[in-house]
Amino acid sequence: MDLENTKAQMRKGILEYCILSVLSRNSCYASDIIKELKEAEVIVVEGTLYPLLTRQKNAGLLSYRWEESQQGPPRKYYELTEAGRTYLTDLDKSWKELVDSVNLIRTR
Amino acid sequence: MKITVSINLGGYSFNIDEDAYAELKHYLKNLELHFAEEESSAEILSDIETRMAEIFRTKITNYKQVINIEDVRQTILVMGTPEDIFDSDGPSARDKFSSPGYHRMYRDSDNRVIGGVCSGIGAYWDIDPVIVRILFVALAFAGGLGVLVYLILYIVIPEAKTTSQKIEMKGNPVNIHNIKDSVKKEFNNVRKKMKF
Repeated sequence: MDLENTKAQMRKGILEYCILSVLSRNSCYASDIIKELKEAEVIVVEGTLYPLLTRQKNAGLLSYRWEESQQGPPRKYYELTEAGRTYLTDLDKSWKELVDSVNLIRTR
Repeated sequence: MKITVSINLGGYSFNIDEDAYAELKHYLKNLELHFAEEESSAEILSDIETRMAEIFRTKITNYKQVINIEDVRQTILVMGTPEDIFDSDGPSARDKFSSPGYHRMYRDSDNRVIGGVCSGIGAYWDIDPVIVRILFVALAFAGGLGVLVYLILYIVIPEAKTTSQKIEMKGNPVNIHNIKDSVKKEFNNVRKKMKF
């Protein structure tokens, strides 16, 4: 079994949760989300983020508006929708349940 | 001295070395293939290009006005290869035989013995060219068929002259995953085009 691979699978599962969490605190640009996820070591390569962002937007959990930039083309500024906030609350609950389950098994 | 290409990446203009351009183009084409099954593939690719342009802009200074191949490679490392992004299908056996990149068969005249036919075939399917050559020689002994086949292939397969062609020449191993995936992608591509 490949440890790196297992870790990657674990990270993959929580990535969507983390994206919504980051946006729940502040609306921001994709590059800001990447920065936070990298600092927390949840994401390894940046390319992983974009398909997820688009999927969540298509599902109505996020929305974006175009922000004009001083030095170039406009950039997408993301924020959580109402549906997104509700979904995040459910995910918070699910996460807690998951952690509790794992701890139960580990400490038995 | 090198030739540079002028590109529009994510709305920004860059001067980029010719070999760097070939590698960048190959990477983006590869990504496009991998995202072909996603709903909003065009949007995802556009976001990725925008991000890459942001990274490129940090590499340009007054003293360095051209994007070179090192810049492209570093940026690809940061963004991730399609294999890095799509590790969803688990076991590492799949990593080596992941979906085919953008590649075509060329004659490899840099590594040729006679005309580069065997090297080209070897590069396309990731087989040792020596094995391909042994096959041809064996065919040649069996009634001269090998010679005829070789000549036909020599005429039909083009030579890899430009840098981009040389990159396209090196394909991925052929196995059931590749074949299934390429058929699936082609099907989806046609389906998307018919939707209008």
